[in-house]
Amino acid sequence: MKYNLELIKNKRKIISFSTFLILLSLLGILYSTFNTSYKKPINLGMDFVGGNELRIERVCEEECSNLSPDSVLENLREISSNKNFINNIKLQFQNNNKLISIRTPYLSIEESNNLITNLDNIIGPLNYESKDSRLIGPKLGKRLLTNCITSLLVSLFAISLYITIRFDKKYALFALLALFHDLLIVFGIFSWLGIILSVEVNSLFAVSLLTIAGYSVNDTVVIFDRIRENLKSKEEGYNETIQLSVNESFRRTTFTSITTLIPLLSIILFGSYSLFWFSLALSLGIIVGSYSSILLAPSLLLKD
Amino acid sequence: MKRRQGWLFFIIFLLTLSVYLLINYPLQLGLDLQGGSQLTLQIIKDEGNVTRDELEAVNSVIDKRVNNLGVSESNLQTLGGDQLILELPGEQNPLVASRVLGKTALLEFRTQKEGTSTDLKTLQLQRLSIKELIEQYSFEEKNQNNDNFIKVIQDDLKDIEQELNYSSTSNDLYGKLIEIKKYVDKEITNLFIKTDLSGKDLINAGRRQEQTNSNWEVLLTFSNSGGEKFAEITKSIAGTNQLLAIILDGESISEASVGNQFASTGITGGSATISGNFSAENARELEVQLKGGSLPLPIEIVETNTIGALLGSKNILKSLYAAISGLIFVGVFMIFNYRILGFVSVLSLVLYGFLNLALYSLIPVTLTLPGISGLILSIGMAVDANILIFERIREELYDGNTLTRSIDSGFQRANSSIVDGHITTLLSCFVLFLLGTNFVKGFAATLGIGVLISLFTSLNCSKTILRFFTTYQSLRQKNLYLPKNNFSN
Repeated sequence: MKYNLELIKNKRKIISFSTFLILLSLLGILYSTFNTSYKKPINLGMDFVGGNELRIERVCEEECSNLSPDSVLENLREISSNKNFINNIKLQFQNNNKLISIRTPYLSIEESNNLITNLDNIIGPLNYESKDSRLIGPKLGKRLLTNCITSLLVSLFAISLYITIRFDKKYALFALLALFHDLLIVFGIFSWLGIILSVEVNSLFAVSLLTIAGYSVNDTVVIFDRIRENLKSKEEGYNETIQLSVNESFRRTTFTSITTLIPLLSIILFGSYSLFWFSLALSLGIIVGSYSSILLAPSLLLKD
Repeated sequence: MKRRQGWLFFIIFLLTLSVYLLINYPLQLGLDLQGGSQLTLQIIKDEGNVTRDELEAVNSVIDKRVNNLGVSESNLQTLGGDQLILELPGEQNPLVASRVLGKTALLEFRTQKEGTSTDLKTLQLQRLSIKELIEQYSFEEKNQNNDNFIKVIQDDLKDIEQELNYSSTSNDLYGKLIEIKKYVDKEITNLFIKTDLSGKDLINAGRRQEQTNSNWEVLLTFSNSGGEKFAEITKSIAGTNQLLAIILDGESISEASVGNQFASTGITGGSATISGNFSAENARELEVQLKGGSLPLPIEIVETNTIGALLGSKNILKSLYAAISGLIFVGVFMIFNYRILGFVSVLSLVLYGFLNLALYSLIPVTLTLPGISGLILSIGMAVDANILIFERIREELYDGNTLTRSIDSGFQRANSSIVDGHITTLLSCFVLFLLGTNFVKGFAATLGIGVLISLFTSLNCSKTILRFFTTYQSLRQKNLYLPKNNFSN
């Protein structure tokens, strides 16, 4: 099976497509920064801003009765001593009214326990064995955020350094360009997800960006290696050799991406809900990463 | 060939060893998989960084308190220089732990300044009324408050503020009440002079129920020198109207007079009791705090995660499904595309899985949800190396080379780019492990270990297994290595 990607012909299209994606991402980031309620480039989750997140299941005979979040909140307001936080509470029913998920500003353990007791009185009985509660202080949140940003910067720097040492300037520049392209697009997609579906990013999102960085560079390195190898040995012209190299490594790059995507899809389908957005971010990163390694980075190398 | 057979035995030996390890040293599961609570404690220091000694000191106090609380199988570790992580497995309520651990528990003994008796009496009365107001407030809140009683409390509070000549700045009523109480506590403490006797002079603490009523009291046992200091102090104020205050974290919890009969020797015997209005619970908490000693620096609980046991076991099951289905689909994909080569990669993947798990139990790595996702992701990456090699082998075969030659040069030529490609992932893992939180560390550890092991399994093991297969004539037909329809190409 020979592949015949017409890289030279489509150079313009590929670069325009990438530019379009980047602009779309930037638009999402800007929109999220200036127009949405959170005023951040991306909807920062509890990990970074602090708060209290509670998920707990109700015990129901057969089907759980239908409840409106508003009436539950109304009841909560009546019996809670701290009126303040009730106004900032977000309450949702999922899983056929069985699962309650609640977000509030930061509470102490005691207050959180009171909240659960109150909930139990209103919509109980609750299954405490199914409880998933996270309380994060705002101080820790800020610290986690700086921590994540530092990790990202440090490892991007390390990867850039590695690439510059390994390749000469031109290759390094384009490999890095492809890398930032991938990260920006995944970031942009999550900005949009935040705007449209209020999806939040947590520290696992930062982890996925880092993993994408490692993976995407890896893919680009393999293709660039092939190009360098072929440029030394093949007689064809510069542009043709690049196109040939891409086609030669097309199969292996798509295959490795597929085998990495398969386990991620398994996590998305079967895994725990806390890993859902994480695996999705990784999958998106791998798809965008393969695209940029196969099509974008080599196109940038082509001469006009 | 002989050397390869040696490798084969080595691989079989490794496999047996991993199975043995896994049976005898079960994997450690994180709280998100077995249920339980995790508290992150932040050491608060206003200026400068927390030193290693300070961290150690805080760690040992917290450790003692946790032990004295009697929670089973708890695990305390330091994180990043100024944080501690406490894990309480099972259905243990983190509330008690948080109350006991969060307090500094700085115990002081102070003697009253001369001529402050009237001031103290007024303050004591104010303290009593503010305490009553707070109780009243909490009681009324629980039983559907009305605006009437809030008005009453507000007025009473105003009266006290006027007497104190201090006005509170908090926004809500409860905050105001607490603020005024703190102010009164501070004023009372200021009427007493520090002595050199403190919580450091204790060797033990206990509690017992008072005989006259249902309240509890806390017993203090001093060291020898502490006992002498206590005698000295009590002697100095015996028979006067100066009181002895026991102060915990800036709040006086007991003010008592020392009778005239102690004027010559002071209270000897090296022990004292604190009898405030302790409930059984409060007395126990104070006992645990005093036994552990006071914290050299205050701490704050910045994060609490609680996961029910049922949810934990669900998480295990879900991860298992994800891992197994991932493995199966990857296997099917590989065998479909690479035939025998694919089968070889499945065998090395199985070995890869066992080696990983065995290493987790050996190091040990605590398995968490992000950790498992790291492992599952690394399955995909482990196959990457195989794909690189197999593609090279295919190319060699297409070029008309013999099977043995193709295999040899396939492994050889793919070698460098595999090692190379793993480096970037390892770099990311390394940074994550150094800078990440506990959760993130789990992911970085499993992914990093996975990438390292896959270097061994995909390079060495698949080669060995492949070599072993090719010793059989029937397994040496080229069409077993290349899909037929492509072979004519």
